[in-house]
Amino acid sequence: MAKDKKKVPDNADKKKYSRRDFLTVGGTALAGGALAVYSPKKTEAKAEEYAQSTRYLLYDSKHCAGCYGCMIACSLVHEGEVNLSLSRIQVHRAVLEQYPSDIEINVCRQCPEPLCVINCPTGACHISAENGNIRMINAEECIGCKTCIKSCPFIPHRPIWNHLTEKAIKCDMCTDTPYYNKKGGVNGTQACVEACVANALKVVTELPDQTDINGYDRNLQPPRKPMPNFFGPPKGKSKSKE
Amino acid sequence: MATPGFGGKLLLVNLTTKEINKLDTEKYEPYGAGHGIATALFWEFCVEPGDWDLQDAFHPKNMVALVTGPVVGTGVPNAARTSVSGLSPQCYPIQWFSHSNFGGMFGPFMKMAGYDGVAVIGRAESPVYINIVDDKVTIEDAKDLWGLTTWECQEEIWKKSGIRYGQEWQEIDDRYTLQRPAIVTIGAAGENMTRVASLIHGGGSGAGQGGFGGVFGSKNLKAIAVVGTKGIKIADPKGLKDAREWYDRTWSAGPGFGGFGPPSIQSCCIGCGTRRKCHNRDRVHSKDSDDCAESTWFSLTKEDANGLDPRGPEISKWNRKGTDIIQQLGINGMETCFQGPMAFPTTHNPDFPIQPEVPAYSALGWYMKKMYDMGVIGPGTKYDMAPLDMHKFPSQEFMEIYGIALANRYGIGDLLADGTARFCEKLGRTDDFSTLCRQTMWGYMDHWSMPGVDWAYGNLMDSRDINSHDMGMGNPSGGFGGFGGGGGKKWTCEDYVKVLAERSTGNNHFWFDFSWEGKQAYKTGIFSKHKAEFVAWRMHYWTYYKESVGYCDWGPYAQLFSASHPKGYGHTPEAEPRYLNAITGRNHTFKDGLEMGRRAWNLKRAIFAIQGRHRKMEKFTGYYYKPGASYCGFDAEKPIFDGKNWDWKNCRELYFTEDGVEQWKTHFYNVEGWDKDSGYPKRKTLEVLGMKKVADLLKSKNKLG
Repeated sequence: MAKDKKKVPDNADKKKYSRRDFLTVGGTALAGGALAVYSPKKTEAKAEEYAQSTRYLLYDSKHCAGCYGCMIACSLVHEGEVNLSLSRIQVHRAVLEQYPSDIEINVCRQCPEPLCVINCPTGACHISAENGNIRMINAEECIGCKTCIKSCPFIPHRPIWNHLTEKAIKCDMCTDTPYYNKKGGVNGTQACVEACVANALKVVTELPDQTDINGYDRNLQPPRKPMPNFFGPPKGKSKSKE
Repeated sequence: MATPGFGGKLLLVNLTTKEINKLDTEKYEPYGAGHGIATALFWEFCVEPGDWDLQDAFHPKNMVALVTGPVVGTGVPNAARTSVSGLSPQCYPIQWFSHSNFGGMFGPFMKMAGYDGVAVIGRAESPVYINIVDDKVTIEDAKDLWGLTTWECQEEIWKKSGIRYGQEWQEIDDRYTLQRPAIVTIGAAGENMTRVASLIHGGGSGAGQGGFGGVFGSKNLKAIAVVGTKGIKIADPKGLKDAREWYDRTWSAGPGFGGFGPPSIQSCCIGCGTRRKCHNRDRVHSKDSDDCAESTWFSLTKEDANGLDPRGPEISKWNRKGTDIIQQLGINGMETCFQGPMAFPTTHNPDFPIQPEVPAYSALGWYMKKMYDMGVIGPGTKYDMAPLDMHKFPSQEFMEIYGIALANRYGIGDLLADGTARFCEKLGRTDDFSTLCRQTMWGYMDHWSMPGVDWAYGNLMDSRDINSHDMGMGNPSGGFGGFGGGGGKKWTCEDYVKVLAERSTGNNHFWFDFSWEGKQAYKTGIFSKHKAEFVAWRMHYWTYYKESVGYCDWGPYAQLFSASHPKGYGHTPEAEPRYLNAITGRNHTFKDGLEMGRRAWNLKRAIFAIQGRHRKMEKFTGYYYKPGASYCGFDAEKPIFDGKNWDWKNCRELYFTEDGVEQWKTHFYNVEGWDKDSGYPKRKTLEVLGMKKVADLLKSKNKLG
């Protein structure tokens, strides 16, 4: 499926445009800065016509540990098994790439103009008013047409295919989590955030800057504690002030 | 139907016949997982046929088995190890059945492809790699990969797959993944069948001990690549989440070595959630290289060793470059370093009676330099130092040439490539095992095994440096003490031992008595039955929970004491079965796990017996019996019972006596159910463990106790 779409041109300059800098419309790749001029093909609807989500998942790619704990937690609470292919947050670690481009994190952006919702033929993919206007897929109404997946303008696409149920799934802020030991959703907790040992995930209520493709990628770190000094004073410095 | 937490199948790949078989894991589960299952596979496919003598690790009939465990890839913190087992070319003088392990994505991806491990036997006619993509397993040509570094090899395999990993979803049988394959591979050191060759996965997750990189090389096996898109079944997902939160709540990142956290971005393993800075993403030079022992491969001074110091300016300009070199060449850093991990000077013991100039940790590089300085090798001898220019020592150029020569067996490198023990032997200087080239046991450089008596005994009874940083049996109130950290609280010795006794489930305070002088050493101390019982406990624990299940030694597992807990409780014995039961759906107790470890431990003992192990061989190297055995003094304040009271005593002068060790061995063999004269397992012991056929085979070889 994804091979056919070929959203990124083969000659794309990796150094000039990182992978996260691309999004597509109808097979054309645009650099992140072009987001402001993008509009969906199928509809002329504007962002203000859609109720805005009240929750957004931010990530901190520079401080992510690359442990995949968030993906494990996501698939565990939603599907009851550890399955990276069914995780609604996707971390990809290229261990031999140089920091910080060694990790890509892909989360659903809860788009102001949600093409997955706009293009869904059955209404299964919808804006859930009772769940803080997050963009969700009602599994019972999903017919497995993959339109939401194909409509997602981001690479890789954020709605994903559940081969076990033959339906699309996407981040629901842990609203529908039958295997979660806590209350999820907009007024609850999110398993990925909980599982993160690096403080690299956070849910916020404010709409991130949509003109910056990296607007969801923030420094989320609290102030660091000083390290214990196991090795004595730094070289060339005496213990006492003179 | 696979047991939850397991992949369900084991791959058996014969490179000679090109046959690929898939075995049901369930048959081997009585041996646990990981190393335990690998031991069972080795027994079935290498020992039972009886068609070779089990002496040569480079023999095509040797098996190298990479097997992971049920906690791996499930989000359990500090638990993502893949064991590597087989005859070890590093072991000396006999190439014992041995093992190592490594972290990272390989184990989890194996399980996501539906396998708990892959065992390789035979030898390919030309270089190959094994490619695992879910159900599809192929033996691929690797002629163009041979000669590449470990990092280049991985990059090439990723290119061969022709997939833009991380950028677009890739379809595999209607399942999708964004992940690139996890690859374990060898560099020049493995290709040239050195005995100090590691397996390298990613930037620097490596299995170093045993020299299994050379076994890959002997089989013309360059790499194993795996990507999986399936799920790992979890019996009780909520229970697993509960367990994780209970753990974090109860043993929060607290004081001491186990708790400082993160000076930098850290990760090693999938879902690991490590509290150690094993791998840093933001290293300038080393990408994913290890930040542990390898990063001090070329440490020469205390300041160099401060490469572990996050303050930065003191970081050696060579350390990180050196780390990259050994990862790419696939060299075991611990065995080949100059002045290894943390070059603590031995200043605490200025009267060090063996060799005052020997650093706290030294290995092949340091010993080679020493031999050169003493005129044993180099000009005027039959050993030419080329391509090393000793006048350029120390320098980055020297370091690089040393690594390249060693890995490729160039010049002096050929003399070094069989490891420190065999280097000593070639020079006719095996007496140095007790002085300049301290060998713990079986061809391994000593690694601060003393005054951690149980660590030393473990080395003696297994086939490697057991490398167990766990337990925490030093004074927790001082420095690194016990790896549990004191948290500023002064723990009385009696209170501390009480915690250890309770948490070990043995409820025997004397298990932790380090009395080493006089009658008390024989009565309750290091030569007593109590110490034998504890070492047996420890080896059963180690065999199952760490080497098989997949818990990480640096987790730390086991942990009997932790200052993070108000009562000083470590997470052992609760965490291990709690995680496991949530994952597997079993209702195993902590002691059930120990018993599975005992089963695998006894099967390994049977392999040792057939290979030639006998009580007479199990003697420590000479320096263990002399003052200075505890030269490092690391973690030196130990619990001592004087017959009436417990108190902390500095044990940096602790050493063994030969009589004492012989008494301890008799106790140990009795505790294990082994014959006290030969050390062979007894029939009753094996039959109780369900291994009658093992007993029968030992009987036929006159190796039954």
